Amino acid sequence: MIGFVAFSLRRAWQGFWRNALMSLAATATMVLMLLLLAGFWIIQTGLLSALDFTESKVQVQVNMNVDTTPAAAEALGEKIKTLPGVAGATLITREDALARFQQSMKDQGREDLSKYLDKNPFPPSYEIALTDPSFAAPVAAALQPNQNPAVRNVLDTKETAKNVKTVTDIMRTAGSVILLVIGVIVLFIIVNTIRLAVVARAEEIEIMRLVGASDAFIRWPFVFEGAMVGLLGAAITLLGLYLLADPIGGFMVDFFRVLPLSFGSLARDLVIIVTSAGLGLGVLGSWLSVRTYLIR
Amino acid sequence: MSLAPAPTAATRSIRERLLRRGGERAAADRAILVLHDVTKTYPNGKTALRDVDLVVPEGDFVFLVGPSGAGKSTIIKLLIRDEIATQGQVVLDGHDLAKLPRRAVPRVRRKIGIVFQDFKLLPTKSVWENVAFALEVTGTPRRRIRPAVDRVLALVGLTAQRAQIPSQLSGGEQQRTAIARALVHDPRLIIADEPTGNLDPLISWEIIQLLLRINELGVTVMMATHDADVVTALRKRVVALEEGRVIRDEVGGAYHRAD
Repeated sequence: MIGFVAFSLRRAWQGFWRNALMSLAATATMVLMLLLLAGFWIIQTGLLSALDFTESKVQVQVNMNVDTTPAAAEALGEKIKTLPGVAGATLITREDALARFQQSMKDQGREDLSKYLDKNPFPPSYEIALTDPSFAAPVAAALQPNQNPAVRNVLDTKETAKNVKTVTDIMRTAGSVILLVIGVIVLFIIVNTIRLAVVARAEEIEIMRLVGASDAFIRWPFVFEGAMVGLLGAAITLLGLYLLADPIGGFMVDFFRVLPLSFGSLARDLVIIVTSAGLGLGVLGSWLSVRTYLIR
Repeated sequence: MSLAPAPTAATRSIRERLLRRGGERAAADRAILVLHDVTKTYPNGKTALRDVDLVVPEGDFVFLVGPSGAGKSTIIKLLIRDEIATQGQVVLDGHDLAKLPRRAVPRVRRKIGIVFQDFKLLPTKSVWENVAFALEVTGTPRRRIRPAVDRVLALVGLTAQRAQIPSQLSGGEQQRTAIARALVHDPRLIIADEPTGNLDPLISWEIIQLLLRINELGVTVMMATHDADVVTALRKRVVALEEGRVIRDEVGGAYHRAD
């Protein structure tokens, strides 16, 4: 058994270098395909981060009556935090709200209109962050004025939350589908490239068949060669990605406006994905290609 | 094995002769190859062989002759189990080829050595490596490969050229390499499909002499050929095919049917 494996590995090594041009062509194709796969994976990761970020922005805003006492406000805040789906609640006092408004006007370069008012029109409010936009409706329902004396109104964000959720769900699904389609395309291209390399060795395979080599003896050196192509391609791809790590990080921040906080895990995921894709595609490609010669 | 050579005698099949000598069992036991009622029709509808009966006893030297398309290549394909007979039985050294499971096929193929018209050598390997290849890919341990290869190279007279690659060899030397490779397994049967087709007459004779020498050592030889001079000169057993049928099977025959 050991002898057989050693024999196959030796033949694979010899085969790889004797047919160097074809092997390098297959490896180059593998590198391109793996870069494509890695690129889409990076985009997918960025997309999901951005979607999570967007969803976290959906809030419920509860306006309280202007004359609400601090104690009553605090009681309401406690109640809000016990509701399911609430990630946190921030109290915005009347003064805070006015200051925000004035800052916002200034940022936009507009005149501060509030100076024309003799009293602060802004009510105290709670800004409630949700764990998931789908909780917007139940949380809003639980905080309606008829059940809570301190509440003046709840801003209706139902439609907004629903729309955001729909869009983000669609984008998640689309992202997965695209990744799958890319994966299938990559598979086809790799398998065909390796098949070309095997076809070039058709006569060698024919002779092996005729002198009575068993299927395993014919197949395994080619499968190991495919693995070599895959691993070499993966190594080159990962090296390329490493060298491009800074530009990629910059791209993710600029395009998705997301800090690559999970960069460490992204890097680890990429290593796993690129290596296993390279190895898997190389082995699969060779196995399928040689199979056509062994069917008889 | 000496059989009545009279070329003008009525044609008798070897099978009948053996049957008379020792009965059906004896004939089958000493036969390396039996084709019984073999018909081969390809999926495209072409019938390559019809009702072929052929018994080749061990140690025979058989010429397979006939025009192109007569079925010679098909018989060879059946013997190496590249194809399976549509009807009838092909029994090689006691194995019914149709009944063989796929995994057993390589082992049976090693009982045969095949020589082709286009040599089918690996262009980047030396003579020695080409011959050793046949043993390597069938799992022979390295310590057994060296003596076996040396032995057959000596037999075919290529010891001096062992390190050369095919492009450095003449046609005759390439064919001798192919024959050495066919022999290295110690096969019971050598099948040669137009082995002298690419060679000039003088070199062809050398190859034939080599095959005859191998036959004298006890290896059965079956040779498909168009070379009328060689066949007629040697007066060995001739099996003639035409349109898929065996029309002649005689010992001491000439290439063309004697009138």
